Amino acid sequence: MLTEKQRARYERQIILDEIGEEGQQRLASGKVLVIGAGGLGSVSALYMAAGGVGTIGIVDDQVVELSNLQRQILHNTDRIGTLKTTSAKLTLSALNPDISIDTYNVRLDEENAAQIISGYDIVVSALDNQETRYVVNSACVSLRKPLVEGAVRGFSGLLMTILPGKGPCYCCIFPKSSCDPYLTGLIGPIPVFTTTPGIIGILQAQEVFKLLLKTGTPLVKEMLIYDGLTSSFYHQEVKRMPGCSCCGSLN
Amino acid sequence: MDVEVRVFGGLENLIPGARFGQDIPLEVQEGCSVGLLLNRLAIPQEKVFNMLVNGCHVTADAILKKGDRISLFPAIGGG
Repeated sequence: MLTEKQRARYERQIILDEIGEEGQQRLASGKVLVIGAGGLGSVSALYMAAGGVGTIGIVDDQVVELSNLQRQILHNTDRIGTLKTTSAKLTLSALNPDISIDTYNVRLDEENAAQIISGYDIVVSALDNQETRYVVNSACVSLRKPLVEGAVRGFSGLLMTILPGKGPCYCCIFPKSSCDPYLTGLIGPIPVFTTTPGIIGILQAQEVFKLLLKTGTPLVKEMLIYDGLTSSFYHQEVKRMPGCSCCGSLN
Repeated sequence: MDVEVRVFGGLENLIPGARFGQDIPLEVQEGCSVGLLLNRLAIPQEKVFNMLVNGCHVTADAILKKGDRISLFPAIGGG
């Protein structure tokens, strides 16, 4: 049952046929883990908080740096040196005090991934490195958790939703062996234009909302690719890899 | 035989006249591999993080067939 305050807060979406009070309650019951409180995680978490996702977990082991602020809008200048998880909780709780924010000041790895992810319904991969993407993908496949994957570079970005066993996993599309030579040669920070993670992050939040509300069509078996220089989106069909080392045994 | 290539994320800058995500129709010889296709397009293989043919991940030695749709991606891994 929604309170009067909640009815007022979410009024504009409760009046949508696809949502209603029942949908809003479904969002309130939803538990979503955002891995990374950077550019993608900032925007996806902000919109999930604004829209009333009841529990948002934030995983990050870094502190806010000046160079983050051009795109990581959960944080601000006064919080330079503060843990990103602490900063994220302050911002999200101020936006919506009705929801719960769990924080994990750790780097996700093979030791802790399953334990942390198992407590959530959906995972948002908002990472800035490939190594952890593979860890998250593997844990989500093992636990059969929906994973909303996003990535950016420069003016470009991409996202896809992974429903283990129902479409390709991250390893089907980006198997480890294919990326090692390039990534080991990748020196220096990845260039990212200010708005690119915002656009991909908001679409990651949209995927989460569709999954929680059981409405619309998630981006499964297709990848959405964004070009900021022409403001264009492209759909790319993606298929499972037979014998994928990660999800090949799932039906 | 005819194939179609799409390039993303800056790889279009390596091909004169190419545009992000737009189909590039190409005629290639029977038995042409994805690696040979990259050579023909003058795209250094180390610039390509991922190659898909009809939505399936492939390696450079994959042999192309008539009508294949090849998509080429650089590393897009930031967050």
